Amino acid sequence: MSAAAALAKNRYFPTAVGIGSFVAFIALVELLIRVGVINRFIVPMPSDIIAAFPRVIVEEHVLQRFLLTAGEALSASILVTIFGVGGGVLLYRYHLLRLATETWVAAVAAAPLVLMYPLYLVIFGRSALTIVMMGFSAGLAPIVLKTLEGLSATRRVLINVGRSFNLTPSQQFWKILFPAALPTIFVGLRLGLIFALINIVGVEFLINFGGLGQLINELAERYDLAGTYAAICFVILVSICVFILMERLERWLRPVD
Amino acid sequence: MAETGRLRLSAAAPLGLPLRPVTVLRIAIIVAVVVIWEAVSASGWLYRDVVPSLAAIGKALYVTLSDPTFYFHLGTTAYEIAIAMVIGGLSGLAVGILLGGSKFMSRAYEAYLYYLGPCPKIIFFPIMIMWFGVGPGSKVAMGAISCFFPVALNVAGGMREIDKVLIRVGKSFRANTWQMVTKIYLPAMRHPVINGVRLGLGVALIGTLLAETKLSNRGIGFLVIQAYSIFNMPQMYALLIILFVIAIGANTLIDRLGGLHDIKRS
Amino acid sequence: MAAVPFERIDADAPQLVPAANAILTVDDIVKRFETPDGVLTAIDHVSLSVAPGEFVGVIGPSGCGKSTLFNVIGGLLDGYDGTVKVAGERVRGPHPAIGMIFQEESTFPWRNVLDNVAFPLEIAGMPRAERYDRARHFVKLVGLDGFERRYPAELSGGMRQRVSMARTLAAQPKILLMDEPFAALDEQTRLLLGDKVLQIQQQLKQTTLLITHNITEAVQLSDRIVVMTYRPGKVKRMVEIKLPRPRSSEIVSSEAFGRYVAQIWSDLREEASRGLDDEESRKLHEGEKQ
Repeated sequence: MSAAAALAKNRYFPTAVGIGSFVAFIALVELLIRVGVINRFIVPMPSDIIAAFPRVIVEEHVLQRFLLTAGEALSASILVTIFGVGGGVLLYRYHLLRLATETWVAAVAAAPLVLMYPLYLVIFGRSALTIVMMGFSAGLAPIVLKTLEGLSATRRVLINVGRSFNLTPSQQFWKILFPAALPTIFVGLRLGLIFALINIVGVEFLINFGGLGQLINELAERYDLAGTYAAICFVILVSICVFILMERLERWLRPVD
Repeated sequence: MAETGRLRLSAAAPLGLPLRPVTVLRIAIIVAVVVIWEAVSASGWLYRDVVPSLAAIGKALYVTLSDPTFYFHLGTTAYEIAIAMVIGGLSGLAVGILLGGSKFMSRAYEAYLYYLGPCPKIIFFPIMIMWFGVGPGSKVAMGAISCFFPVALNVAGGMREIDKVLIRVGKSFRANTWQMVTKIYLPAMRHPVINGVRLGLGVALIGTLLAETKLSNRGIGFLVIQAYSIFNMPQMYALLIILFVIAIGANTLIDRLGGLHDIKRS
Repeated sequence: MAAVPFERIDADAPQLVPAANAILTVDDIVKRFETPDGVLTAIDHVSLSVAPGEFVGVIGPSGCGKSTLFNVIGGLLDGYDGTVKVAGERVRGPHPAIGMIFQEESTFPWRNVLDNVAFPLEIAGMPRAERYDRARHFVKLVGLDGFERRYPAELSGGMRQRVSMARTLAAQPKILLMDEPFAALDEQTRLLLGDKVLQIQQQLKQTTLLITHNITEAVQLSDRIVVMTYRPGKVKRMVEIKLPRPRSSEIVSSEAFGRYVAQIWSDLREEASRGLDDEESRKLHEGEKQ
């Protein structure tokens, strides 16, 4: 096999191509800005953006801001996991309640709750609590629905295995239903976290309060172009880390699938 | 699907009332909510007007719906979202098919979409304003990039889940690429595509409306923030109610449209 | 059925190749795959041919390369040594003269029975009225008239396979290539469906190549059976099935039938147990690696 073909078969080749084309794209943008094809007052040079990174991190107290946003996200995640999964289990357990309210929950999941933020502002004040509650509200419905879906989709035969061993309802739930539903529940948690984060960062941005969302808003209002782009990159990085972490957590909780 | 032991709950009128228990429960919940609402409203326990009386909200609803300028704003938002969905949806579909159809492309680029997807797109709004101006352009852009990711990811996943034998059937009958896409890939993926579009609509709504609240002089988002700024709470509630009803309706519509393609889920 | 003259071409390997009026010629196919564990030879110098109107069964243990052979002949696999020719023309991809019926459930769940059967005609650009006419004819042929507007989810497994069959037959291929089409069905449905296949084949004088691991099925349907070895797949033996035609499923209880099955099983058992041992040691290895 020729060297080129061997390279193409290498398992890391596609990933390398992906990263490589990304870097090439950035280089191209840099070139086009320097040459003047792209307006430098609309798109700052990538080299400027990278140079702005240290400045943004130090001057804008990125660490504190990150901790604040992360703290809000974490609080919202914990709340929404407890009440979301709990709610799903509740609806699964009480069939009548489920029949009555499932379509309502689905409706809530479809509605852009984020627009209620002025109301939350008035009720909870201009504080981190508002932001946490907004994240909580947005993430709740998808988790309830996915938990319900996961529990209901447990294969009949697995339930029958439990019954054949005379398991109590509680054992049946914790040893069979819940583990079987976990993959779907995790899908729901990821979805809920996504919506929560969108709302958290979004509201921070809108009401100009809080951590990273506010940072972007401020830098934009100051027309610090390179800084704004740098802050955006930073938020993207943080978002990526959060979801990779979540994946690792899930992998750790469910070793083989 | 009701399990055997619970079937009887869907049966009619075991309570001797002319209504099913589900309906009774729903009415009970609604009544309870209404009662609590009015109580809180009347007591003034929360800062005034945060919980206006239902009558006040009803009045505001009537006023809003009979105001012609409201429909202008509604039209603006609807137009922005529609275009955003078309741009975001079609590009998401194309990219999804590309990624899902090729292992190489997927390994090279899908990770970017997967990790960029959950990121709150509102952070791009200042850039969108710079590129597309303060008018509807930036709102459409926000909606489009929000909508793009769920559609692309769902389509890519859907492509991989297509029963491989169906693709072989198409190839064995020598279908060309266009025929493969329209007669096999898309119908086989209808469930992931519908789900992706639903999710896409949800986030496009959020993206567009947030953009309107931040910087706009028209659209529903703008109306909401305007009502808030003059502290006309009943008006704000009325707008939110209308908005939620439309959003839920659109969602249900997409669901139904998807269901039309198979008479029975197999 | 006219007897086809055979020539013995190799004293060692029991390969019998019919004379040049064959409609399908598979000549010296070698197909290898690259796996993480090295190069796997799936098919090792396999040749066979099928005369017009003939029903040939290819039988072998799991892992003998049957499905690979199916995909090679059907033009869905390339990168092999040797040639496949249909009516003298070399096959380089899915060929209009070859119709394939797959092992798995392959009806389109989103189309009703009639639209499923009309699919190949739609692809070929046949006008609407004409293709629905033709589709209806074939729906009737497989015994599903009345079910045109039903969806696959409303049908049984056996009925769905009949839809797949009607779909492939509607394209009127010169050669029908089937890969274990009844694998997902129960024994009784198999036998009855086998009857249907025989009836259709006799009516249409359809040249058929059936790939299967089911001995009863192979003997019931075929004029000639090719027995394959376990991987790397070679032709172990060719057996001419001299049971009278027209046949029906009652034939399975005849003595002659039993003797053919016993003969083929004795060939097959050796290969099948080699396959089983190989499979078990592989799984053991995989588990240890983890």
